Amino acid sequence: MSNRVLCKFFVHGACLKGDNCEFSHDWKDQTNNICTFYQRGVCSYGSRCRYEHVKASRPQTTISSSSTISVRPKASNPVEVTSPRAFVAGEANSISSLPAELSALSRPFFPPAWKQDSIDHNLQDDDIVGEVTNVDPADRPICSFAAAGECPRGERCPHIHGDLCPTCGKHCLHPYRPDERDEHIITCERKKKQLDALKYSQEIECSVCLDRVLSKPTAAERKFGLLSECDHPFCISCIRNWRSNSPTSGMDINSALRACPICRKLSYFVIPSVIWYANQEEKQEIVNNYKAKLSSIDCRYFDFGNGSCPFGTSCFYKHAYRDGRLEEVALRHLGAEDGNTVIAKDIRFVALQFFNIDAVL
Amino acid sequence: MVDYARVQKELVECNRDKDISGVSIELDNGDDLSHLSGRITGPIASPYEGGIFQIDIRLPGGYPFEPPKMQFITKVWHPNISSQNGAICLDILKDQWSPALTLKTALLSLQALLSSPEPDDPQDAVVAQQYLRDYPTFVGTARYWTDTFAKRASVGTEEKVQKLVEMGFPEVLVRKTLDIVGGDENLALEKLCTG
Repeated sequence: MSNRVLCKFFVHGACLKGDNCEFSHDWKDQTNNICTFYQRGVCSYGSRCRYEHVKASRPQTTISSSSTISVRPKASNPVEVTSPRAFVAGEANSISSLPAELSALSRPFFPPAWKQDSIDHNLQDDDIVGEVTNVDPADRPICSFAAAGECPRGERCPHIHGDLCPTCGKHCLHPYRPDERDEHIITCERKKKQLDALKYSQEIECSVCLDRVLSKPTAAERKFGLLSECDHPFCISCIRNWRSNSPTSGMDINSALRACPICRKLSYFVIPSVIWYANQEEKQEIVNNYKAKLSSIDCRYFDFGNGSCPFGTSCFYKHAYRDGRLEEVALRHLGAEDGNTVIAKDIRFVALQFFNIDAVL
Repeated sequence: MVDYARVQKELVECNRDKDISGVSIELDNGDDLSHLSGRITGPIASPYEGGIFQIDIRLPGGYPFEPPKMQFITKVWHPNISSQNGAICLDILKDQWSPALTLKTALLSLQALLSSPEPDDPQDAVVAQQYLRDYPTFVGTARYWTDTFAKRASVGTEEKVQKLVEMGFPEVLVRKTLDIVGGDENLALEKLCTG
C-alpha cells in the first residue's frame, strides 16, 4: 500500500484525472483531513471547521504503519505523534532537535498538483536532452477549472484543457487518453439517458388517481407500479390498492382485480419503479433488477424451511435453509406423446388466489 | 374514503365538453362530493332522442376502487333499466368496474346502453318481454315515456323560469328549485313560496 493520500474528488466519484491522478485512488488509503489553513496559522472557521485542527502530519502516521503508535503508546496526543518520514526529513536537514511539530510545519504537506508537474517537467528536461520540451500530453492531467467552465490560467495552464463532451457540455474529454474519453462518454450518455427518462416520467399520469405520479406529495407515493403484461401507467399505491381490493366488493379476483384497469389484461405481479420506461428493453431491465433484488431477500413465508410459502418455487424471494442450502426445485415429469419424459421446469404458480405478491413486501 | 381530488378533476373534465359529449355532472347536494347528479341526452336515432335523463350518482367510500352507484331519476322505458325505480343493469357498474373508468365514461356507457338495449340480460322483465315480442309497441312506449318524463323538465324550462322570475323570485333560485322538483312548475312555485 502506498502512503499516498486518498483523492477527495475520487471519494465523491468526480475525479477527472483517472489513473494519472497524483492522489491515491485506493480506498484503503486515508484522506487528508487536516486543515491546511490551520497548518499555516489561522483557520477562520475555528471550531466549526470540517477539517481537523492538528499541527502534525497525522494521516501519514496512520497510513505508514499503525505500529508506530503501538510502539510508542505514550504518544496519545495527536499533536505529539509524528510520522517516521517527518523524522527522516528532519534528520536529513539536521534539524532533528526541532520539535516534530515544527518540522512538519516547515515541510509542505503535499506539493500542489501543478508544482509537482513542473518538477517532473524540469527533471525530464534535464534527463532527456534534445527531446521535446513538453511532457507527453497523455501524462498531463486534465484541468478541472477548464472542465467546470473557465480556467483562470488560460494558455499558461500546465494542465491539459479537455475537449467538449457533447453530452454534458463540459470540457472534460482528455484529448490524448482515448480510454478515459470513451469511458466518460459512455457514463455521460448513461446519465443523460437516466435524466431523460426521469424527465419523461415526470409527465406520466396515473390512470386511477389522475395525478402525475412523480408529483405526489410523499416520496413513497412517487413510484410507478409496472404491470408485467401491459404498459399502462399507474402509481404503485393505486394499483396495489386495486389489486388488494377485498373480494367482497363483488369483483372477481382473477378476472377483474388481477387485470389491468385499462386493458383488462391479466398480470400476475406489479413491479415498483421510480422511473417510467421508454421501451421494452428498459422495462425488462427494471423487472430483472427487481427480481434480482427480491431473490436476495429471505422469504418470510418459507422461513428457512420452517414455514411454507404459498408461492412455492415461483416465489420471487429467496428460499434457503439456515445452512445456506437452497430449496430444491421439485421438477415435474410429464409424459410426452412420444413416450419420453419431459421435465416441466418453468411452472408458473397462477392460482395465487388471495395472495398478492406485493403484500409480501 | 372517497378520493375527492379525483372526483373534482373528473367534474372539471366532464363538464368541459358537455355540449359535445351530451353528458354532464353536477353537485346534487351543496358541497357533498359523494352525492352527484348526472345528466345525459337521449341518443340520436333511438326512442330516447330528444330526452334529457337525470341520474342519481352516489360514490361509495371505496371510490374509485368500487363502482359508483347510479340510478335513473327520470323514468325510462328500457329493458335494462327498472321502470319502477330506475335501477340499472350494467356490468361496468357491478363486477366489471375498473378504477380507470370515470363518472364520465360510466355516463357515456349509460348513453350507449340506451341506444343498444340487452333484452337477454334484463333488469325489467316486462319491458324486455315487450322488446322481444312486440318491438314496435316497445318503441312507441319508450318514445311516449321520453316525451312525458324526459322532456317535460327541459322543454319549456325557459318559459317556466321566466314566468316564475316575473313573479318576483330570483332566477338562480328558480332554476335550482325547478331542478329539485324535476321541472314541475306548480311544485316549484309551492316550494318557492314555502321556503
